[in-house]
Amino acid sequence: MLVPVFTLKLNHRINPRMVTVGKYDGVHPCLTAATQAGKVFIHNPHSRGVRLSSHRLNPSSQDTDVSLLNINQAVSCLTAGVLNPQHNYDSLIVGTQTNLLAYDVHNNADIFYREVSDGANAVVLGKLGDISTPLAIIGGNCALQGFNYEGNDIFWTVTGDNVRSLVLCDFNGDGKNELLVGSEDFDIRVFKEDEILAEMTETETVTALCHMHGSRFGYALANGTVGVYDRTARYWRIKSKNHAVSIHAFDLNSDGVCELITGWSNGKIDARSDRTGEVIFKDNFASSVAGIVEGDYRMDGQSQLICTSVEGEVRGYLPASKEMRGNLLDASVEQDLLRELSQKKQNLLLELKNYDENAKVGTGSLSETDGQTGIIPANTQLQTALSVCLGSETQSPNVELSISTCNDTIIRAVLIFAEGIFEGESHVVHPSVQNLSGCIRVPIIPPKDIPVDLHIKAFIGGKNSTQFHVFELTRQLPRFSMYALCTDKSLSVPKSKVTFLINERVQRVIMWLNQNFLLTEDIGSPDVSFTSLRGGGMLCIKMKPNGEITINTDDMDLAGDLIQSLASFLGIDELQVEADFPVYFEEIRRILIKVDEYHSVHQKLTAQMADHSNLIRNMLVQAEDARLMADMKVMKKRYSELYDLNKDLINGYRIRANNHTELLNCLRAVNQAIQRAGRLRVGKPKNQVITACRDAIKNNNANALFKIMRAGTASSSL
Amino acid sequence: MEVNLNRVDYVQVGVTSQKTMRLLPTSGRRATQKVAVADHDGVITCFGMKKGDPIPVFKTLPGQKIFRLTLGGALGTPQEKIFISSGSEVRGFTKKGKQFLSFEANLTESIKAMFVSGPDLFVCGSYIYNHYYDCKDQDYYLSGDKINDIVCLPMDGAKPITPILACQDRILRVLQASDLKYEIEISGPPTVLELNNGNGGDSGEEILYGTSDGKLGLVHITDSEPVPKWEVANEKKRGGILCIDCFDIIGDGVKDVLVGRDDGKVEIYGFDSSLEPILRFEHVLPESITSIQGGCVGKDNFDEVVTTTYTGWVTGLTTETQQKEAGPGEEMKMSQEIQNKVAALRGELEQLQLKVLQEREKFQQCAQSSTAISSVPVFSVNDKFTLCRDDASYSLILEVQTAIDNVLLQSDVPIDLLDVDKNSAVVSFSGCDSEPNGNFLLATYRCQANTTRLELKIRSIEGQYGTLQAYVTPRLQPKTCQVRQYQIKPLSLHQRSHVIEQNRPMNTLTLTGPFSFAEIHSWVVFCLPEVPEKTPAGDSVTFCFQNTFLDTQLDCTYSKGKGDFKSDNISTISILKDVLSKEATKRKINLNISYDINEESVNHTLKLIHPKLEYQLLLAKKVQLIDALKELQVHEGNIDFLIPEYRSILEDADHLIEEYKKQPAHLERLYGMITDLFIDKFKFKGTNVKTKVPLLLEILDNYDPSSLVAFFDSA
Repeated sequence: MLVPVFTLKLNHRINPRMVTVGKYDGVHPCLTAATQAGKVFIHNPHSRGVRLSSHRLNPSSQDTDVSLLNINQAVSCLTAGVLNPQHNYDSLIVGTQTNLLAYDVHNNADIFYREVSDGANAVVLGKLGDISTPLAIIGGNCALQGFNYEGNDIFWTVTGDNVRSLVLCDFNGDGKNELLVGSEDFDIRVFKEDEILAEMTETETVTALCHMHGSRFGYALANGTVGVYDRTARYWRIKSKNHAVSIHAFDLNSDGVCELITGWSNGKIDARSDRTGEVIFKDNFASSVAGIVEGDYRMDGQSQLICTSVEGEVRGYLPASKEMRGNLLDASVEQDLLRELSQKKQNLLLELKNYDENAKVGTGSLSETDGQTGIIPANTQLQTALSVCLGSETQSPNVELSISTCNDTIIRAVLIFAEGIFEGESHVVHPSVQNLSGCIRVPIIPPKDIPVDLHIKAFIGGKNSTQFHVFELTRQLPRFSMYALCTDKSLSVPKSKVTFLINERVQRVIMWLNQNFLLTEDIGSPDVSFTSLRGGGMLCIKMKPNGEITINTDDMDLAGDLIQSLASFLGIDELQVEADFPVYFEEIRRILIKVDEYHSVHQKLTAQMADHSNLIRNMLVQAEDARLMADMKVMKKRYSELYDLNKDLINGYRIRANNHTELLNCLRAVNQAIQRAGRLRVGKPKNQVITACRDAIKNNNANALFKIMRAGTASSSL
Repeated sequence: MEVNLNRVDYVQVGVTSQKTMRLLPTSGRRATQKVAVADHDGVITCFGMKKGDPIPVFKTLPGQKIFRLTLGGALGTPQEKIFISSGSEVRGFTKKGKQFLSFEANLTESIKAMFVSGPDLFVCGSYIYNHYYDCKDQDYYLSGDKINDIVCLPMDGAKPITPILACQDRILRVLQASDLKYEIEISGPPTVLELNNGNGGDSGEEILYGTSDGKLGLVHITDSEPVPKWEVANEKKRGGILCIDCFDIIGDGVKDVLVGRDDGKVEIYGFDSSLEPILRFEHVLPESITSIQGGCVGKDNFDEVVTTTYTGWVTGLTTETQQKEAGPGEEMKMSQEIQNKVAALRGELEQLQLKVLQEREKFQQCAQSSTAISSVPVFSVNDKFTLCRDDASYSLILEVQTAIDNVLLQSDVPIDLLDVDKNSAVVSFSGCDSEPNGNFLLATYRCQANTTRLELKIRSIEGQYGTLQAYVTPRLQPKTCQVRQYQIKPLSLHQRSHVIEQNRPMNTLTLTGPFSFAEIHSWVVFCLPEVPEKTPAGDSVTFCFQNTFLDTQLDCTYSKGKGDFKSDNISTISILKDVLSKEATKRKINLNISYDINEESVNHTLKLIHPKLEYQLLLAKKVQLIDALKELQVHEGNIDFLIPEYRSILEDADHLIEEYKKQPAHLERLYGMITDLFIDKFKFKGTNVKTKVPLLLEILDNYDPSSLVAFFDSA
């Protein structure tokens, strides 16, 4: 049994996910974490007594090992590492919703302090691709920014949604780091500098990522899933009812391979084998885990796994010694193995008994029994069908799954387990006793265009049964199932469209259509129209004999999805696309104008605040003067004025906060627009579009931006 | 006196009932004991251990479910005869497995509990108690509620025979011949009785009891009255007690109390110098412990605690240290032994797998034929649905003999499903429309591998009644699922009690009409939990209840044609009135309902609520302050500048937060009940005050007892 080699009780709460270890003097590792009230504490047990308080850093009056760093804003992420390649000590990077601070703890000085309008939800420090200096890369609202030690953002790109987790790892084995980005649209994207190498779609917001070894990395989702990927293939995953707060790779059993260490919201910590997900060690904290890091905290040359809880409890574990032979848990392995085998045996025996009893009942007629045990004809089969249902007054349009039995048995209930399309992981249909029948229709409304496996469990039996047979089967929902084939040619075709040329046979495109749309019968020509069940908008896909494909839709996301799906189906590596979305572009234009407005309002408000704070200073001095001179009347007056001013300030703050959120929303929309424009293209043209758009934004050139979005390159204008 | 016990698994038999495993006494000096265990397949297995391998002594043929197994024999000789009960039959076996007795008790109910002493045999069905001497009928008693267990004080000829019944209505009934001598009220429904020290203690009159809400106690049964000695409360919310034994495992010369619980906990209580029980050791097995006994089975000279679990594992917790700590040479040898075992098991498994494959194919082929039917035997589900007094919520425990795959919960009344720390299953709530299918809750629990036991917590609302259904699907081919139903009764938060405070202001609801005693009893059963289903003997009956949330009381007295319901809570009366009239209409019985409302009772109930409400409001306020105060503490570095009140909040922070977490939504529930009280008060006056509810909530938000009372009076 592995026990902690040290435990500490720090008297500070620790914000979840905001824990790191840094060697700020190049030698001594210090546990650093964000705590309440916009503060960061640094725990340095190694050099006692010799500390000065100045600038941001204050020694905590409660205990001597801890110094506090005032950020004066809610911290949203932090990390530590070598930022300036000429220094051999770590810098501390702290991100908030508006700013990024790089701080030299040893010299007690700011390295840089930058305003980041997209916020910093996650931060990672390290080398990316061919960029020579280490970067502090932050992920915010749909945007990624990398700063070098001079505070210049030499890396910038956009991604599909708010970034929640980042990690650097050599994904493709080229010896250089790629950036893995987990975001709120359930995607893990791999960036080789600006270029997207791969995209993996998960089932929930990706809240944590960590590098295991080689091209292998761990991930955690907001719904309690943790797992391991090797490149784009998922090795394993498990799901718990708790949430994984922090994941970390550490070789706890000394077998030379890192295990995935997970800290859970209920205070549990477990270490799982990277190959199988099998638990090899677990321990419990009294409160939720805040973060897991590693460092040589005892300065004895061995790295410890350091786990922290939100209540400030810290435990360090050394990797197991060889004698333990990887057996870190309390129970004996042999006993467990025996137990497991016996359990298996018992299960098989029970199954045999089931068949035996079944044979005994044999071919006796049905009427003899009362149906309590749920006897059904042996040839009962379950039929399922998927179809598009246009909906009625009471029912919104949906995809309908109909499940029916082939005889007079009834379906008591249907459980559908599928990821990403229901509120939870399952959907249940349970008719009341009066409405029992052999056929159940389940309306499904997938919120996103993703292919989904529906794992269906149907309880089949008689009307009065207390025991039912469980039929299990799996159906796949095609990616674009929420689009109904439309034969009415009179409906107007949307003005927005994308056109592109491919070098493929028509037959292959038809095949793609048949596989990805829910069609009652296969279509023959590549000229089809659909209505979207979500918004009712039209979607027309048309292919000319010369290979030119036109997709008409007002939904830019959908166009992007279609192009990506088609390109991967046909194996197209590069695709340039002409796009025109007049309505959407107009909206972006308006948003860009709004962004300018918000910016100017922001500046105005900041100036006003500065004025106010000067006033406050004066008034406070006056009030205190009055107090010293025992002129209570004036003092009272001054203080009531101060109170009013304070109220004004608070009001001003509210306005500023509103203004800020509006600004953020707008910026997010702009970032999303760039990302969407990128998704319309494949391969190199995709990256070109994103970089060109970015340049256009930098130069505040809206017209160029739209030109790029339309044509896919900036070159035509130059 | 530390004790360290290691787990060793011996054998697995079928599903077992409570108290179905005993260790046979040794014949020689300090030799290992044999184990006799009976299961639901009707098989008695008797085995001993030799070099770590179970050596069977005998095994009987399958038959009816066995509910109890006990040992007996002529007084003064080793108690080594095995008695089992199945159906209404008692059978006796010698230690070699030879049947020497088959006795049909001719009870209308199957035997649920049994006690054997020399030639005396005591058996209990659900409600019936019967005593036989040499298989000849002696005494008979009909209990008012379900009998869970029985013991009889040791007989020395001088004292009269004193059997004690543990009854579901929280009463230990002490009998004398066919009559009730006296009743002992205890704090929970007793599930198991055992003689203290195995012989009733020094006086021979002490018995240990365990309750389904996890309490353990000792009571001295004297001739005239009971003397309670001690009771161990269940503060940590452990499972109900299923079995107790006395054995000196710690080795201090005093017999310890061994306890097995339905959440898999094995506990050992030792005694301090003042003879108060202290928890000395605990161990968790993954499923309910159905039987427990101390003895020596695995190896000479090493005492152990032997348990059986629900799925039939016979497991020892032995004082023998495990091989791991032995020298390296020995370890090799041990693992060789285990390797052989593993290899043997693997071989067995392979063969079984082949056979299963064949059978599976046969079964598949069967599906081609149009006349064949598919029937899968009913698997056994061990379930328990009980009201927890502490937080006024229901706990539902489901246990299956193999791993559970998933559980679907469906309810046709609004209930809240609470999270239970112990259960690791992934829960997912499915959207449900109450029309047309009447679902208010649809939730699936997908269980992790090897989960055989699932614990859920449910919060109900009084007045809203219906059925909760659980569809349990185990991981067993061919896949089947079983549905279990649980009634959520209209007065679901009431609990039986046996005392009633007479001086409270009471509201009365009186029913008269042409209904039979059985009919009105069935209505009461429908409305209230913990009432025996069987119509009580006699012409009239009185049941008392207590509201576990508000501590208000209800007194039901009824007979043929008349029913009186008295409660100090007007909402209780209102619910009863609604449900009873609905039930009567369903059966087309013309009911006369009259009620007598005591105005004082409303204020009285508010007074009862006041301390709870005040406490909760204060707690909520304090908890809200904790974070801010902590921030100040960090900022200022110390807390000396704070007023004492805030300082004490900071000092108690952990405790406060824990307390707050313990009772989620407590405040909301209190608000709901006060609102109900308000509406019901005026309903009886014939006015509808629903429009004034927002005003009431406003008053509650700025709570002050006098303004609340004033509002109730004025509206």
